[in-house]
Amino acid sequence: MADEEDEISEMGRPQVGFGQILLDVASPVLAPAEQVRHLYRLSDPALSELGLEELLDALLERVRDALSVDTAAILLLDTDTQELVARSAKGIEEEVEQGVRVPLGVGFAGRIAAGRIAIFMPEVSAADIHNPILREKGIRSMLGVPLIVESELIGVLHVGSLTPRQFGQKDLAVLQLAAARIAPGIERARLFSALEHEHRTAMLLQRSLLPRALPETVGIKVAARYLPARDEVGGDWYDVIDLPRGRIGLAIGDVVGHGVRAAALMGQLRTALHAYAHEGHGPSHTLELVDRFVQSMGEYAMATAVYAVFDPETARLRIATAGHPPPIIISERHARVLDVTPGAPLGGFPYGSCPEQEFTLNTSETVVLYTDGLVERRGIALTETIEQLASVLSRARSPEHACQLAVQEMVSPEGLADDMAIVAMQSTPIPDVLHLDLPADPSVLSGTRRILRRWLREHGAEEPVLSEVALAANEACANAIEHAYSPGPASFQLRATIEGGEETNLGTVVITISDTGQWREPRGENRGRGLTIIESAMDEFELKPSDSGTEVVMRRRIEPQ
Amino acid sequence: MNIADIQIRGRDGVVVVSITGEVDMSNANDLREAIIDATPNDALGLVLDCTSLAYIDSAGIHLLYRLGDNLRARGQTLRVVIPPTSPASDALRLAGVQRHVDVVGELEEGVRAVAMSAPKTD
Repeated sequence: MADEEDEISEMGRPQVGFGQILLDVASPVLAPAEQVRHLYRLSDPALSELGLEELLDALLERVRDALSVDTAAILLLDTDTQELVARSAKGIEEEVEQGVRVPLGVGFAGRIAAGRIAIFMPEVSAADIHNPILREKGIRSMLGVPLIVESELIGVLHVGSLTPRQFGQKDLAVLQLAAARIAPGIERARLFSALEHEHRTAMLLQRSLLPRALPETVGIKVAARYLPARDEVGGDWYDVIDLPRGRIGLAIGDVVGHGVRAAALMGQLRTALHAYAHEGHGPSHTLELVDRFVQSMGEYAMATAVYAVFDPETARLRIATAGHPPPIIISERHARVLDVTPGAPLGGFPYGSCPEQEFTLNTSETVVLYTDGLVERRGIALTETIEQLASVLSRARSPEHACQLAVQEMVSPEGLADDMAIVAMQSTPIPDVLHLDLPADPSVLSGTRRILRRWLREHGAEEPVLSEVALAANEACANAIEHAYSPGPASFQLRATIEGGEETNLGTVVITISDTGQWREPRGENRGRGLTIIESAMDEFELKPSDSGTEVVMRRRIEPQ
Repeated sequence: MNIADIQIRGRDGVVVVSITGEVDMSNANDLREAIIDATPNDALGLVLDCTSLAYIDSAGIHLLYRLGDNLRARGQTLRVVIPPTSPASDALRLAGVQRHVDVVGELEEGVRAVAMSAPKTD
């Protein structure tokens, strides 16, 4: 290092105002026997276990003991301002508390840093010291060394005595040993904190890009988990999408790569998939559109994904995958890995296609999508760990339980090498007595029809009765919504039961719609038509106005076909 | 949430609007406005194709009536296409729509009827 040699060659020259100057950074002086214990304490391997704060505290304490000085302090270089900032001190702690700053090249510490030299001042004069606290405290003698890592100056370590004293070569050796110990520790901690910062940023980004709340409706239960990797954030995501006409979209994906870039890319892909899905495109076409989107981004990007669309009324589950591990369906005490034909990864090949397959998700069954972070094990075939996951999931009693089991049984206590996501959706049985409490808003009509149709189907109703009953119930709900006058958020209730028919499982459907509003006489053609529809679709129709509101009760016999 | 979609085509002064999805109280009025906007003043009339319509309730039926009124006021003709086997035909039958709106069983029939209608002035 040419710089240092230049400095050394200059060291022989006495410098005005700085007393005796000592320097030999390159070749530490051998310590006398009585110093061995102190030296050992400075190089104690146990210190490596400490965090930066604890390390600095412990080392300064040991330096103070070893040299029998009154104060020991560390100042670190702020590269933006080219100032030394008091970072840690023992003896005169006020330095740190007051955030003392010393410009490079100025005063005792500033000269050590600027010249990368050790400086000893047997008799401190006020003019030598930039730091006002040291002046006030009456420091008499000082010794300081630069903190250097890989030829970069990062700060200064100095000690001081309140009584005049001589520091010799052995004292310098001790201080240099401490400096050699401290400097890499500080650098490591800084790198770590920079990484930590990036990690936190990526985590925050990741979190903000995942769905905040999962849609929940009668007959559907959803649960999901995202776990970051041990050291890094990845590009895994999941999504649950409320699609028009009661269908539900379920997506999962994994952007190749790690860190903030992968997380940001994940956000773009998730948004693109969500938007295409919402347009009503099926699984295959949605993934192909996302693939074209990735191709058009003009930078290398690749991801794997699964997109599934479930129609609760027909129990049909359509799935397309793009280079992603196959979904799993959990039935009672059994789970099977779906035999899907995987398409090309998104962004992987020009005009990649993703074949679509149809499965049935029966009532009580759960479909599980996951990313490879959950099933990747060094030295074990993926097919084997996927089977292992299926066997773990076969014990799941609910989507929430499935996610819990997957994390508990598949994620090692040391954490994940890769991040992972899992999303599970169950088609839950509709209760025998359907009871819905709904906000008085027209937007609930569509979903309510869906649930009621599924309930009717499960109770033996067939077309055209099924559609007619659903239509009549819809008209009564629309009436309840229309005359919900209350200024606050109004609501109404729908109740559906089966009367009689225990033996044939067919009886009479009774639907009651009650609200807290006043019944309004049909106005204009429109509402009159609603009543016409109810009367012709149902066997019986009864209107019960009361003080608390209005109740419409209607009956229709479900005939065996 | 969007529960219905419309697709608009036009040929020889006849506007054909195909409606898919579901029509109820939540979207009937918006749909009527969109359909009216899609029908220029100089068009002969409108064919509303409900062949692929999955659901319609009384609010949707009200839409058909008002649409008929709107077009009549502009001297334009309306034909509503509802094949007897289409999912929405039950509701339309239950409400007795045929008495108030000109219903045809298939698209070509509707287009022919509108194309032959002479522009009216009233």
